[in-house]
Amino acid sequence: MPQLFNTPLWFNGLDLIFASVVFIISLLIAAYSWRVYNITREKRFSYFSLAFILISLSLLVQVITSSAVYFEDVRVAADTILRPAIGADREYSTLFYHAGFFLEMASLLGGLLLIYLISQKARERLKKFDELTQMALFVYLILLISFVASFKYVVFYLTGAVLLGLIVLNYYRAYLTTEKRNTYLVMSAFLMLFMSYISFILIVFLPEFYIIGQLFQLLGFMVLLYTYNKITRRN
Amino acid sequence: MSTRRSRLELIFDILLAIQNKGGRIKPTHLMYKSNLSHKLLNSYLDELIGKEMILIQEEIVRKKKTPNKVVLITDKGLGFLAEFRRMREFTDAFGL
Repeated sequence: MPQLFNTPLWFNGLDLIFASVVFIISLLIAAYSWRVYNITREKRFSYFSLAFILISLSLLVQVITSSAVYFEDVRVAADTILRPAIGADREYSTLFYHAGFFLEMASLLGGLLLIYLISQKARERLKKFDELTQMALFVYLILLISFVASFKYVVFYLTGAVLLGLIVLNYYRAYLTTEKRNTYLVMSAFLMLFMSYISFILIVFLPEFYIIGQLFQLLGFMVLLYTYNKITRRN
Repeated sequence: MSTRRSRLELIFDILLAIQNKGGRIKPTHLMYKSNLSHKLLNSYLDELIGKEMILIQEEIVRKKKTPNKVVLITDKGLGFLAEFRRMREFTDAFGL
């Protein structure tokens, strides 16, 4: 069985289950935010929904590409679908994985960037023109980073960690203002996601950090799910 | 200084004022409680009646020739209050 990022063989497949759980949680949050947008018609909710849709997309692509790496059957199925379009004698597996990893990284970093920008308070935002040009610059950088990162994965985790660190700081400030338990929980969830990315960076030293990172990621999203449940079940 | 209330916040304040008075309130009291002008309150009340969130009931008072009007909150109105509270909680929790 092939390995991803030199991770322990016994963990292959388990990370796909983790990613699927995180995928569902992201979709739930995106759906609720979209519902709030439909009621309020305030753009921030549609952006927040888009952010979690991008994270879901990233996880979906991760599940597909990792499944192709781990499982022979999926590789054969992908080959059967793609082969007629590409041609009988062309080698395309490297391109397939790079394209998959690029899409996974670009959408995840894009989602995190959106969360970071939304979690900034409105008064601290720039004028619309400046905001748009700044966004365009950020999108360019995210695409560039994702391209470079599909060859050197640590760049992706490093960028993700920086974005998550900034998001945690924004939520910490929000918590100091609101002093609400739910804000604290969301901040803790993003702190766990930040820890997961730090663990992913450390994979170069010890492959087991991949498992720790996955566990932190799952835990972070479980806290988000708990908070989401707490809010939506309230009467 | 407090910021301008959004349309939804105004609707929430109106419905909350009715709920806090046990589900029924006189229009004049509602005007003071929700801090709105007579004209603006009437336009919101018309909208809320259209959306079946409130009802206007007429009560006959013995010593008066004209009946008193009372604003009542419906189940749909109570549902909106709960939904708005959830939305506000979501907004605060996720720093939106």
